[in-house]
Amino acid sequence: MDELDLLKRDWQKKEAHLPQLSYADIQEMIWKRSSSIVRWILVISILEFTLPHVIYLLPSVRSGEGFKIYEALGISKILFVVSIAYYLVALYFIFQFYRRFKEISVLENSRTLMRKIIRTRRTVKHYVIFALSTIVLFVIITLFGIYTTSDLSTLFPEMAVSIKKLDAEELKMTLLVTIALFGAILTVLVGGIYFLLYGLLMRKLKRNYHELKRLEF
Amino acid sequence: MNKELEHQFVTELQDNQNIVHKVCTLYTNDQDAHKDLFQEITIQLWKAYPKFRGESKFSTWMYRVALNTAITLYRKSKKRIDTHNYESVIFKIKAEEYDETEEQQLSLMYQAIRQLGDIDKALVFMYLEDKNYSEISEVLGITEVNARVKMNRIKTKLRTILNP
Repeated sequence: MDELDLLKRDWQKKEAHLPQLSYADIQEMIWKRSSSIVRWILVISILEFTLPHVIYLLPSVRSGEGFKIYEALGISKILFVVSIAYYLVALYFIFQFYRRFKEISVLENSRTLMRKIIRTRRTVKHYVIFALSTIVLFVIITLFGIYTTSDLSTLFPEMAVSIKKLDAEELKMTLLVTIALFGAILTVLVGGIYFLLYGLLMRKLKRNYHELKRLEF
Repeated sequence: MNKELEHQFVTELQDNQNIVHKVCTLYTNDQDAHKDLFQEITIQLWKAYPKFRGESKFSTWMYRVALNTAITLYRKSKKRIDTHNYESVIFKIKAEEYDETEEQQLSLMYQAIRQLGDIDKALVFMYLEDKNYSEISEVLGITEVNARVKMNRIKTKLRTILNP
């Protein structure tokens, strides 16, 4: 007899030894929270879409202090336009994400299911790249504003006297370098966390998806 | 209404729970993970249940959801407990029914199957469950020919493990 037939016969016999759950056990399980990868993607994505906006709600950011600085730098108009564009594109991404997410169904065949999950995740990935680019753009505009402003003491009226004592060129350079560094670190950090998080989350799914795709050639 | 649906679902799942247990046996290494995966499959089945219209048998429908959960949606829990104790409970339980060599052969074969990738495991599972290739191809989303080719490769692989 073929070994595999032997295995098949044994497999079917083994049913008698499987654990048996009671009605109550199963009933309790159906109301538990899913820990599936799709749920994780949803939770992380909602955080990604909302977190930057929560920061804007903080009192210190809202007080308009920041806005005055942008005005002094002469970049408030362009930042306003960029912000509007940012929100429009972000809304588009949220809409796309919602549509893709709704499409995911456990009743599809494995290959389609995996493809749809990867596509949904890709939408989030594009959003993150877009959001990070916007940060970089903000930083560049700010740097440009500082560079073209001749009297930086107007930025911080309460410190104007002490600022005037400093060497103007040196102050400008220090500000430019600090902001550029801060922007770069923030971008790399946020991007790094993001790709690490999703890399770990999607590793298994991607491997299986490529395996299935390879079978088709 | 909802209560009725819930009752209907739990009853049907209880009657067919063997399918889920078998998937969990193949895809997990210890009892905790088994329970964890069982629970996730149950949640997914329940979420999809309103869309089950009885076009196919409940059990056929379950294969798809259970395998999709195991190979796509489920995230393996990180903690790994020694696999051997558990295996011996599940797989070597009826030693007295077999002669020595047969039992040894089977044990080796189960060990080999456990080392396969997730997709290969799904193919082996459907094969062991006596599903035909059209069903296998439908669940996994690959063509029937490719399912057959792949299954033959796995069979060869398993045979070489047994007879090096």
